[in-house]
Amino acid sequence: MADAAVLPAPAAKRVPGRFWIVPPAALLALLFFYPLVLIVQQAFMDDSGMANVGEFVRVLHARFFLNALINTITISVTATAGCLIVGLVLGLILAFVPFPGSGVIARLIDTFIALPTFLVTLAFTFLYGSAGMLNAGLTEAFSLQAPPVNFLYSTWGVVLAEVTVYSPFVLRPLLAAFSLVDRGQIEAASVLGARPFRIVRQVILPAAVPALIAGGSLCLLLTVNEFGIVLFIGAKGVITLPLLIYSKAIQESAYQVACIIAVINIALSLGLFGLYRFAAGRLGA
Amino acid sequence: MLVWSRPGRIVIWLVFTLLFGVLFLAPLAVILLSSLADQWNGVLPSGLTTEHYSDVVQGAAWKAVKASLVTGFLASAVALVSGTWAALALRIQDATLARVLGVLFFIPSAVPSVSVGLGLLVAFSHPPLLLNGTIAIVMVAHFVLISAFTFGNVSAGLARLSPDFEQVASSLGARPAYRLRHVTLPLLAPYLVAAFGLSFALSMGELGATVMVYPPGWVTLPVSIFSLTDRGDVFAGAALTMVLVAVTLILLLGLERVTGRQARS
Amino acid sequence: MSVPAFTGSNVMDVDAAKIRGAGSNVHFDKVSVAYGAHVVLHPLTLDIAPGEILAMIGPSGSGKTTALRAVAGFVRPASGRIRIGATDVTDLPPYERGLGMVVQNYALFPHMRVEDNVAFGLRAQGADKALIGERVKDSLATVGMSGFAKRYPRELSGGQQQRVAIARALAVRPRVLLLDEPLSALDAQIRRNMVEEIAKLHRDLPGLTILYVTHDQTEALTLADKIAIMRDGRVSSHGPTVELYRLPPNRFTAEFLGRANLLPVTVTEGATGPKGFATARLGDALLAGAARGEKPGDKTLLCIRPQHLSLTGDEEHTNRIVGTLKEVHWQGELTHLVLEVDGTPVRVSATRLPVSLPERGSAVPLFFTPGDTSLVPEDVRG
Ligand SMILES: Nc1ncnc2c1ncn2[C@@H]1O[C@H](COP(=O)(O)OP(=O)(O)O)[C@@H](O)[C@H]1O
Ligand SMILES: [Mg+2]
Repeated sequence: MADAAVLPAPAAKRVPGRFWIVPPAALLALLFFYPLVLIVQQAFMDDSGMANVGEFVRVLHARFFLNALINTITISVTATAGCLIVGLVLGLILAFVPFPGSGVIARLIDTFIALPTFLVTLAFTFLYGSAGMLNAGLTEAFSLQAPPVNFLYSTWGVVLAEVTVYSPFVLRPLLAAFSLVDRGQIEAASVLGARPFRIVRQVILPAAVPALIAGGSLCLLLTVNEFGIVLFIGAKGVITLPLLIYSKAIQESAYQVACIIAVINIALSLGLFGLYRFAAGRLGA
Repeated sequence: MLVWSRPGRIVIWLVFTLLFGVLFLAPLAVILLSSLADQWNGVLPSGLTTEHYSDVVQGAAWKAVKASLVTGFLASAVALVSGTWAALALRIQDATLARVLGVLFFIPSAVPSVSVGLGLLVAFSHPPLLLNGTIAIVMVAHFVLISAFTFGNVSAGLARLSPDFEQVASSLGARPAYRLRHVTLPLLAPYLVAAFGLSFALSMGELGATVMVYPPGWVTLPVSIFSLTDRGDVFAGAALTMVLVAVTLILLLGLERVTGRQARS
Repeated sequence: MSVPAFTGSNVMDVDAAKIRGAGSNVHFDKVSVAYGAHVVLHPLTLDIAPGEILAMIGPSGSGKTTALRAVAGFVRPASGRIRIGATDVTDLPPYERGLGMVVQNYALFPHMRVEDNVAFGLRAQGADKALIGERVKDSLATVGMSGFAKRYPRELSGGQQQRVAIARALAVRPRVLLLDEPLSALDAQIRRNMVEEIAKLHRDLPGLTILYVTHDQTEALTLADKIAIMRDGRVSSHGPTVELYRLPPNRFTAEFLGRANLLPVTVTEGATGPKGFATARLGDALLAGAARGEKPGDKTLLCIRPQHLSLTGDEEHTNRIVGTLKEVHWQGELTHLVLEVDGTPVRVSATRLPVSLPERGSAVPLFFTPGDTSLVPEDVRG
């Protein structure tokens, strides 16, 4: 069986129709790679069409850019850490302390992957916004003047929303990895008197590490690229790279600046994509 | 099986309920509630109404639903054809080229959607390739963003397909086209359906690239939800979000039934 | 093929008559296969006669599947040619080779009914409807699956699926039938039945050339006219089944086909007499063994199968060795004993035991006839 898994290279040589790949590749080249090249070109060219890195260097040193870069990275790293923790806790419970209906719950969480990300932000404004349920309840109960809960319009609001949206991306590979853990081994360890924490540390976590790395690097990538959540929260102080590209291009019509930021954002994303592919490759091996 | 004592399990389930409730259940519930809210100044809405939904079926909101459905359907259909085509064609390349091209077909999923939109604006704003301001540019943006997804899904399906099926078919005298039509594609069907449905769902929720490129007459659901909430019309935004959630869930559930039936047959 | 059995007019025989003579020979002419720098088939030259069952047998990874897939056209030889009948098929795509193939996991198309599976090849080749209907009926009858035409593969047991897979391959009237470990996914009991079924199938379709790849020596011994034993991408030995079993040309063959005791001996006298027995020394004992040109002084191995060793000698058993009894395993029909003779463990499968079983550790005489032995050269590994 396994010996037939790959068509051997020698046989492929004489297969006609190597050119079948051309139409989809050409389509992608025209609609994706060509625009990508133009972005890079615009980033390094002045109005007269001459190569010029001056503008690029200026943007690189600009306050608004550096702030956005720092914000993007801080939010991404924090949210990924949150996703890993939430994903791990949920995964451990769903896999090893199951309850009636836990399968349905796992599937429900999984469907969050397909839902638009801004949904959560919108919901959070109703829950934690200045006129939201929580603040309304607290002001009523303690007769306060101003709403006491303010985190939503800070990086924390973005982080919490991203944790909600992206922890399913950690949970999914994690549950797959947990399903391969030998239940007999856990039961044997329990019978021998091992405490749950010990079992988690010594039996379950080692099996989960590749899934955590793959899920975590995917979260890093997705949170760096996240746009809807940040746009919907719309806090003045919370600008990330994608939002900056949007506002430079659409609101200020500063296309060259937008292209320069896009080049950096894309480079960052492709680096994280490489990390993810590497991690997922290790996971598959 | 990890925690045996009853109190221990109950504590753990409470932790789970709290996490799940705060992170996943509360957002969905609150969107639903607000989409039905009349006025909401206290802890709970002061009254309920279906007014926001009746707005959806008329006027601008309905146009947004239609724009999203049409865009999602067309972009997913094109992505399905090109993704399947690419995945099938890659199998007959030699190994190194296949690996390189495989990565290239995945890259659109790694690039931020806003940049994809920016690239399209930069590339297609001048003749002869003038797409800016047309509906087509929205379709193209959605196609690019979901193409990697369909390609990945179909490739995964192909990788799981035992080569025995196709080889036995060939040895029995089936030429490549006949084999593709009668063996490979039918066996891939569950993956094709799943890929189509999920890319449709992704397209329905796409915001970053759309907001960069959409022409005035073609406002998709997410864009119109954004402009509603930006204007402060949050209840209408919530109602439209519920429509989006419902369409997505119907797509996913419907697919599950289709693929489930196929897996069984 | 016995004539009376063939005068009946049931479907199977009509079918058989049509297939007879359809078989072609398969010729490997110095065929080698490499994956990158890794050579998995060293230049292989082998001929399968029309109507012959050749069993290709060997340990896992020895290149059996590779050889079969080269015939089918899924592996391109790095060098050499493959001919089927008069046609050089080396450069033909698989779908132009006119073969039937059956694989380990059946690979029945799950989205087609049994009849559509069987009809697949003919439809793909554009045969007309009437012919397809007739062939589907015949082929299903040949494998005894006529009643299952409307079922889906998932509604059949493993053995039934394998029959359908065979019917599907037969329906196209292949010049050669390729079977790659067709029974290894089945339970032991069903496997035994299926071996007999395939043997019967070949009696019914005597013209059909079959290349049968397996790692199971029982299947090979039961079915094959000839056996090729593969080892590390080479043919270690090739010959008629009975001959290969009785006079294995090397240690690997002796040990792979059935079980064998191989006693290191020194030849004292070359072959004498019409039957060609040489005399060889093992410790104090002088033993006669079927020779293959040994000269006095040669060191070689004397091969004797466990079932040919007897604890109770009679006048035919002119060879006699003495061993120390190490283990006794009684298994009802057979008793397996392990003895040590001159430092070499010797296995005995005895049907008859002496009245009083000797004790462990005691010296026990073993008797055997020269006709059951052969002298086997030690392998020289390259
Ligand atoms: N597609 C392939 N790529 C690389 N090596 C392969 C491939 N298929 C088989 N091999 C190698 O070729 C050798 C022979 O394999 P195979 O013919 O399948 O052996 P067998 O069928 O006797 O078990 C093995 O070492 C196997 O690892
Ligand atoms: Mg094999």
